[in-house]
Amino acid sequence: MAETASATKANTTAMNRRLGGRVRLSPFNLFSALLALALLLLAVVPLVAVLARAFIQEGTLDFSAISDTLAIPDLGRTLLNTLGITLASGLVSLIIGALLAWLNERTDARVGILTDALPLVAFVLPPIAGAVGWVLLLSPGAGYLNVLIRDFVGIFGVALTEGPFDIYSWYGLIFVYSIYQVPFSFMFVSAALRNMDSSLEEASRVSGHGLATTVRRITLPALAPSLAGAALLTVWTSLGLYSIPSVIATGAGIKVLTVEIVNAVAFTYPAQTDVAVGLSFIMIAAVAIVWFIQNQVVRRSRHATVGGKARAATPIRLGGWRIVARIFIFGYAFVTTVLPMLALLLVTLTGYWTTNINWANLSLEPFRRQVLENPTSAEALTNSLTLGLVGATIAMIAAAVLSLFLLRIPKRWARGIDASIKLPSTLSHIVLAVGFVLILAGPPFRLSGTWIILLVAYIALYYPQGAVAADGAAAQVSPELSEASSVAGASQFTTFRRVFLPLMIPGLIAGWALLFVRMVGDLSASAILAGAGNPVVGRQILEVFQNGTFSLMASLAMTLTVISATVVVVLQVISRRAARWSTQTSSKSKSKGSRAR
Amino acid sequence: MSVMTAPPEAAGPESTRTAPVASVRNLKRYFKRKSGEIVRAIDNVDIDVVPGEFLVLLGPSGCGKTTLLRSIAGLEQPDTGRIEVHGRPVFDSDRRLGLPPERRDLGMIFQSYALWPHMSVFKNVAYPLQNRRNRMKRQEIAQRVDRVLELLELASLREQFPSQLSGGQQQRVALARALVAGNDLILFDEPLSNVDAKVRENLRLELKSMQADLGFSAIYVTHDQAEAMELADRIAVIKEGRIVQIAGPKEIYDRPTSQYVANFVGVSNQITGVLVEKTQDGRGVVETTFGRITGAAIGVELGDEVVAVSRPERCRITSQQPADEPNAWPVSVDTSMFLGAHVEVVVHLGAHPVRVWRADADTLPRGAEGWLSVASDWVRILPREL
Repeated sequence: MAETASATKANTTAMNRRLGGRVRLSPFNLFSALLALALLLLAVVPLVAVLARAFIQEGTLDFSAISDTLAIPDLGRTLLNTLGITLASGLVSLIIGALLAWLNERTDARVGILTDALPLVAFVLPPIAGAVGWVLLLSPGAGYLNVLIRDFVGIFGVALTEGPFDIYSWYGLIFVYSIYQVPFSFMFVSAALRNMDSSLEEASRVSGHGLATTVRRITLPALAPSLAGAALLTVWTSLGLYSIPSVIATGAGIKVLTVEIVNAVAFTYPAQTDVAVGLSFIMIAAVAIVWFIQNQVVRRSRHATVGGKARAATPIRLGGWRIVARIFIFGYAFVTTVLPMLALLLVTLTGYWTTNINWANLSLEPFRRQVLENPTSAEALTNSLTLGLVGATIAMIAAAVLSLFLLRIPKRWARGIDASIKLPSTLSHIVLAVGFVLILAGPPFRLSGTWIILLVAYIALYYPQGAVAADGAAAQVSPELSEASSVAGASQFTTFRRVFLPLMIPGLIAGWALLFVRMVGDLSASAILAGAGNPVVGRQILEVFQNGTFSLMASLAMTLTVISATVVVVLQVISRRAARWSTQTSSKSKSKGSRAR
Repeated sequence: MSVMTAPPEAAGPESTRTAPVASVRNLKRYFKRKSGEIVRAIDNVDIDVVPGEFLVLLGPSGCGKTTLLRSIAGLEQPDTGRIEVHGRPVFDSDRRLGLPPERRDLGMIFQSYALWPHMSVFKNVAYPLQNRRNRMKRQEIAQRVDRVLELLELASLREQFPSQLSGGQQQRVALARALVAGNDLILFDEPLSNVDAKVRENLRLELKSMQADLGFSAIYVTHDQAEAMELADRIAVIKEGRIVQIAGPKEIYDRPTSQYVANFVGVSNQITGVLVEKTQDGRGVVETTFGRITGAAIGVELGDEVVAVSRPERCRITSQQPADEPNAWPVSVDTSMFLGAHVEVVVHLGAHPVRVWRADADTLPRGAEGWLSVASDWVRILPREL
């Protein structure tokens, strides 16, 4: 009896010490823990600030933020608009994305990595550039595509002075939203198709059903949970989208929630913070509901894929339809990425938006005049690039340190910390930006109009995307490599610097490129937090849009696109080269090694 | 004894030579499973490693041998107990002392060798010399690394990367890295375990001869009893976190002190029964279903359920009843097969199959009659565990 009692006692003390025993109180762990705390505060405090402000003002319970918001004229209209656009564009992007994914995963229309990547190119381009590009293409009067169509039908004697398309319309808005969403649904459905056992479909074909019946009765039902998951994903990203409606919905006179929030806090004087908080609160509630539903759906979808053995599917031969399918894939990529970029390029090189293009006069001169020699634009560009450089670097190093820290501490803790840091920014960038206004702009920090508030917001908003890259990189470094370093006498700092960092660098570079592109092209936080004192490209584009100077807007959007594309491509190459030791096989590299010497 | 000059703080010349290189006292480490079951990964372990010794920790997977090794390295924290390396305490639960791995001054060879893929052979080996406590001049480091590379015949691979090396070369680089800082104690965490059998054999031979040449002490974890036999000066057989027997390979093989050890190491014939006689000189007699067996009684009392254990190569099959041999029974041959080094003959004693290994002999026809015998010196009577 006494023996067992003392044994359990020894056990509990052992268990109590376990947590402290496993995570050493070393300088590096302390540093990592402080970093985790800082990121946690950055992510959670703004959100809490918004939620608190909706009910509490100056320490007392006060529903004025809510009542002010409910008193906004057209509130119901705004919400309905937002919901309508979200659902319609979600449906359209789901259909296009699923079709592209099916063609690529299941049929011989696939062209290797080319068709794998094409629908994803839109990811790299800043959404604002796409929005401006489409305005230039489909604006009823001077839209390049409209002009082309009018000239074409003119041959047949049909005279039009406007149209036929109008980007400033419901269908224009839904169209551009959909283009932005297609990559998400494409990825989601592709992954589902890859995990789904293609022999389910083959069994149906063997049972005597044609392709159409098989897709309708087997593929679609099996994919249903993934399709629902994809749809809900697009719904909550659409809800928080700002850059596209800021240009197109505003032009069409359609009120959208995110635009109203930004207008209330950034383009109204004096700022209607209460209204912004109230609207943000509605946004949080909406996204939370969608999240909840999506979680349920995804959880249930696990059963649907169980038992499926993933194996490369034998592509379905499309025969004559193959060429049609390929035209669709390439046509889609051309229309959604190349066309708007061409429009931007044309306006940038012409210097103004006109349908009478003097092809001989295209030059970079207008770009120099409008962007580089315009003090505000030049300053905005410098600021954006600096913020992107500094922000992406800080966020990526933090992500690398933290991803390793989360691997060292007990799992339960790691999961909680990870989720708390990552979730808020996926909620809505606009809402978090409002939160930053609440906590940092006023006293005691008084950071309004400084680059620090932008830097802090950028890091908080985009950190999660960097963390995904860093987590992947950290998972690839075998724990033995760091243990070997410790046993060899290296401190944790040294191990991080000499073992983890060099081995993680390819993944970190890729993550850095993504963060840099997102930060330089940021519109949502910049719209709310930037101003005359700290101009950045995103804010500059919005202001130029309100003045109607389309050529400057196109130049800025083009600049963003070029910078983004260049950074991504160059860093991709560097990242591949940095990883060359890992791809070296012993036979291949022997000659390489001897040649190097 | 050491290839390298010892680091300055561990320079005591005589004391380090006679004192154990590593000693473990009363070490415990318990885990609690989700189900609430308590797993004793290390259960009151004491070990001393003498200088120059090759100690193998042998046991099935999950017996705690790796946890023990990692506790000595400082990669895991035990609950209670004490560990000394080179006479210096590195872990002591009473004094709440637990040095991190980087301050324990020992070498370790990992399962995958854990050579850093982004560093050349030279940089890998130089790494342990390039830390704050080891402040050495660049030139001094280069000299020392080159000397070790020379010693391990790696000089020509100095600028190669690990992915360009063969398994044997990788093992030598890992060894060079473990030895370069002047560590006398090298820990091996089941290296070779994912290499194929033939290569493994060669690496083992190479490792053994390196150890003989360089004279370091080693603690080596493995679940492969053949590997343990070949490498070890002493083997510690581990079961559920406890050391059940620690002795030289021959002793472990010939004189197992428990059924567990007899089972785990080599092939053995095991016959269950009850101990009915016990003499002053440690002999015992077991009553079985088919007769009596005489042997050395180890830790058993009259009336105990016991198991009589013998090795197949110690058993004999003869056509005549051997004289003066109490352990002799008439049998008939069940199966008989040629296994290269010997012929295995299987006979039955009651319900128990008994294997007999006969060197330089032919197979016997099925049903052949004869006598099975085994000298009582080669029979161990052990407590029955299973």
